[in-house]
Amino acid sequence: MGTNLAVVVALVRRALNEITRVPGAAIPGVLAPTIFVVGLTSVFGQADRVVGFGEVDFRTFVVPVGFLQAAGFTGAATGVNLARDIEQGWFDRLLLCPAPRLTVLTGLVASAALRCLLPVAFLFLVAMAIGVDFPGVDGLLVALVLVMGLASVFACFAVALALRFRTQQAAPLMQMGSFVGVLFTPAYAPKDLLAGWLEVLATVNPVTLVLTGARQGFVGGVTWGDTWPALLAIVGLVLAFGALATRGLRRYSG
Amino acid sequence: MAAIDVRGLEREYRSGLKAVRGIDLAVAPGEVYGFLGPNGAGKTTTVRMLVTLLRPTGGSATVAGFDVATQPAQVRKRIGVALQEAALDLLMTGRELMELQATLHGIPRRDVRARAEDLVGRVGLSQAAGRRVGTYSGGMRRRLDLAMALIHEPEVLFLDEPTTGLDPTSRATLWDEVRRLKAEGTTVFLTTQYLEEADQLADRVGIIADGVIVAEGTPAALKAEVGLPHLDITLMDCSDLTRARELLQAFGDVRPAPAGVDVSVAVAGGATEIAPVVRVLDEAGFTVASLELVAPSLDDVFAEKTGRRLEGAAEPVAAPA
Repeated sequence: MGTNLAVVVALVRRALNEITRVPGAAIPGVLAPTIFVVGLTSVFGQADRVVGFGEVDFRTFVVPVGFLQAAGFTGAATGVNLARDIEQGWFDRLLLCPAPRLTVLTGLVASAALRCLLPVAFLFLVAMAIGVDFPGVDGLLVALVLVMGLASVFACFAVALALRFRTQQAAPLMQMGSFVGVLFTPAYAPKDLLAGWLEVLATVNPVTLVLTGARQGFVGGVTWGDTWPALLAIVGLVLAFGALATRGLRRYSG
Repeated sequence: MAAIDVRGLEREYRSGLKAVRGIDLAVAPGEVYGFLGPNGAGKTTTVRMLVTLLRPTGGSATVAGFDVATQPAQVRKRIGVALQEAALDLLMTGRELMELQATLHGIPRRDVRARAEDLVGRVGLSQAAGRRVGTYSGGMRRRLDLAMALIHEPEVLFLDEPTTGLDPTSRATLWDEVRRLKAEGTTVFLTTQYLEEADQLADRVGIIADGVIVAEGTPAALKAEVGLPHLDITLMDCSDLTRARELLQAFGDVRPAPAGVDVSVAVAGGATEIAPVVRVLDEAGFTVASLELVAPSLDDVFAEKTGRRLEGAAEPVAAPA
């Protein structure tokens, strides 16, 4: 157990190493969610005047969406980095270590969970600077836990694709998962204002539960009633996409 | 018990390509086994199956006593692997990579530093260990790769074309390290397309072509299969060649001499018979102008077995001093 944990920590450290040694490579991923939120706010900032939007500032409404996108970018980057490691042979080195394959996968996914905190922190600071309401410590903590969980989900999805295609050229596909996952939620307007088909999709999309959970504190207060479904959704998604990634790992050597 | 025991090993890809078609081999503990073949012969596929990176589709193989298909984790604990391309993280330093490798192999933290320092010293990288690997030359990367493969003191070491593309100095360092590992009792499975490398390092050689082993044995035995080495001798005074030939028949068959050569004689003992031959000729009053020992090569063995020449056989390989 201790050995497996050491392997996970070593892999996470290596992933974080890339940020500290090539900061330039991390900048796009860090800036993108913030640019998205700032840009969207500039264009659609008056959307909160639409009847039915509720008593909430549009900037505050979309900041948690930026968090989810940060999770998406980081998850996809994990898949792209894995594809690069496969192309360069580094992944074979990982597979040659005696630790269980699941430990290697956990290391990759855990690194995504941690790395997503960087763009989230940057977005949060910018959001506070432009006047978004502070969600409260409890709201912030819930959002961070959920975003880290969602980054793990998207990382599992991207890892599965990286193991399937074994090339960085699959990067757009890896990004697509988080794009679709976040798009079909009440990301930009409350569910009641969505078109019929989109409302149906948003209702069945488990990422909606995660977004609702992450919005607590930003929009309304933090309640257990909105927190547990979000946590349950994360657990379910991690299990589902984790199984997909594990299957990919098994087939990789087949 | 063999360190590596392979029986009927096969690998067929989904495309239908059969890269390895029923290989049998056994490598004894402490032996250096040279796996020789041209590109595409099935060398790397075989190695990837033996190191558990690829699942066999037929046959069986055990490494260090454990089945590669059913006990892969046990196999991985006992093997060191340096694959064809030195897969290194260029952003990390040599020392960091050694420590990461040690962690991956479950080596206690307290032992990591000393072992890493010892190994980087052995491969001549002490001075460079604190530098990022991105600044290393190709030879330095290969040497670091080898050091990383040894961090957990493996029973069996797999080296997949370890010197391809290396400069003579790096090649010499790697050859020396392989010899040292052999002296320490490590079993080494070495794939190469360099004949001289197999000749120099391997106790036994298996030659693979089109997914099957076409010849196996010690380099000397394999070469003996295609003929004895012979001495091509040119004399200062060739007025009595008949007498010279009669004298040399005591050593072996006197063969038809090629152009520019006065006498050609097969010598079973190879280089060990040069001095006696010269002595006999000298005592009979002949002065040797030039003498060349011509030995069958592993390429001759390959050609004999497959009707083709090994790719890269003509490529000059600098022999370490």
